[in-house]
Amino acid sequence: MTGYLLIILAAFFFPGIIARTKSIASGRKGPRIIQPVRDIVKLLRKGSVYSTTTSSIFRIAPTVGLACVLTAMLVIPFAGGNALISFNGDFVFFAYLLALGRFLMIIAALDTGSSFEGMGANRETLYALLVEPALFVMMGVMAMMTGCTSFTEIFKAFNTVGDYSLLLGALFACLVILIAMVENSRLPVDDPKTHLELTMVHEVMILDNSGFDLGLIHLTSSLKFGVFSMLMANMLIPPSWKIGYQFLYFGVIAVGFAVVVGLLESFRARNKMGKNPQYLLTLIAIGLLGLIVALILMQKIA
Amino acid sequence: MNLAIIVLFGVTLMYISIAERFATYLKLVALQGVLLFFLAFSELSGANDLASLIFVVAETLIFKAIAVPVLLRNIVKKMKVAKVHAKAVPAFYSLLLVLVAMGVSVVLGDMLKIGNIEKIFMITALFAVFTGLILVITHKKIFPHLVGFLVLENGVFMFSLAVGSEMPFLVNVGILLDLFASVLILGVFASRIGKRLNDPDVEDLSSLKD
Repeated sequence: MTGYLLIILAAFFFPGIIARTKSIASGRKGPRIIQPVRDIVKLLRKGSVYSTTTSSIFRIAPTVGLACVLTAMLVIPFAGGNALISFNGDFVFFAYLLALGRFLMIIAALDTGSSFEGMGANRETLYALLVEPALFVMMGVMAMMTGCTSFTEIFKAFNTVGDYSLLLGALFACLVILIAMVENSRLPVDDPKTHLELTMVHEVMILDNSGFDLGLIHLTSSLKFGVFSMLMANMLIPPSWKIGYQFLYFGVIAVGFAVVVGLLESFRARNKMGKNPQYLLTLIAIGLLGLIVALILMQKIA
Repeated sequence: MNLAIIVLFGVTLMYISIAERFATYLKLVALQGVLLFFLAFSELSGANDLASLIFVVAETLIFKAIAVPVLLRNIVKKMKVAKVHAKAVPAFYSLLLVLVAMGVSVVLGDMLKIGNIEKIFMITALFAVFTGLILVITHKKIFPHLVGFLVLENGVFMFSLAVGSEMPFLVNVGILLDLFASVLILGVFASRIGKRLNDPDVEDLSSLKD
């Protein structure tokens, strides 16, 4: 339960810290940390406007997306404790719940009948397709190293296996940051601040959403950041540490993650569309490198 | 520690296969030199053969990490081209090829049943050699070809680490000489022939006449 609340707490501040980092990096004072949350609250108070071409899919998609992330959060443990739900193979459940949410958003974008949104949905599908193997290679490696197949058991055992699991943890933490950037449609794959529909990916898919629905979509995306920071914290913090340190380091990791995202977004440009598949392949490459490191550590080779 | 260096070496190999700028190639080649230095140093410092240790330090740190990158940088400055824009295949496929090469080298390295060989070095060496070959195959410009040979040579150096602390002097000296010659030839290419052919694209060589 603590983990669940911590994810929500992290999600609460995450977009604000990113925005603040970006504004400081570009020499501005920037909005307050909780400004994005206020924006979401403002949106949630409004009603939604629906186009007459849309069907029920368009109306349920944002809600289902949020529900998927809220459910996926249930399987993530904290501090070597038990997650709210834990069963064998729950990381597959986690990955496909996120995928289900994305799938609903994609068909909702197609549902509007707008060619722009179709284009965005098309791109989102391609990127999701390419980033999925990276996540699965990573989780597969961790399952192989620990011999467990649920998040709770994997993270209980992960940090104690081998002397080099810090190396592997660091490698995978990098991978989690990169995957989170793609999952949340941030730079360099997608630019959330772009104003040109032709260069948008995620933003163009939600052009027709307004008011309450848009608020839910923003909420979902900040929760996803919270989920990934919790995953990263689980990889990097040894479960044997005292609970106080665990909280402290989770805070450090979540804030550090947000600052890294903000800095990355400040100092790099969006990829050319044609380069994105290649970029996403590098994520798979990092995952495969992790696999080989794991094989070496387990002395399957060498 | 060695494993971390080897992982970093693997990352440079993947990066080099999708790099597009000459400056990136230079940085990566220099980084590989430094990594090899640390690796060779930690492998050979146990051996009491001082001569081979000095040779390795001189070769990796001075030659691989400083001399060759500096020479290459001068050539790049003379060529006045910053980007490798002529690739025979898109970067996506060259990265895919490198990933396949990584898989093949792991399988090959694991299959070889030779005593007294450190498999991790063997695998990395094979991976570097394959990556060098892929670099040569997938580029049209002469500069990445040379970088490919440098990577290949780093792979061969790794092989020599794999067989333990016995440094095959002669092999290394031979390769060094070859590389030195190739860098010199490239220098000639850039400074002399380059005036005629502005952009050293190897495809232009096929149209040369007496």
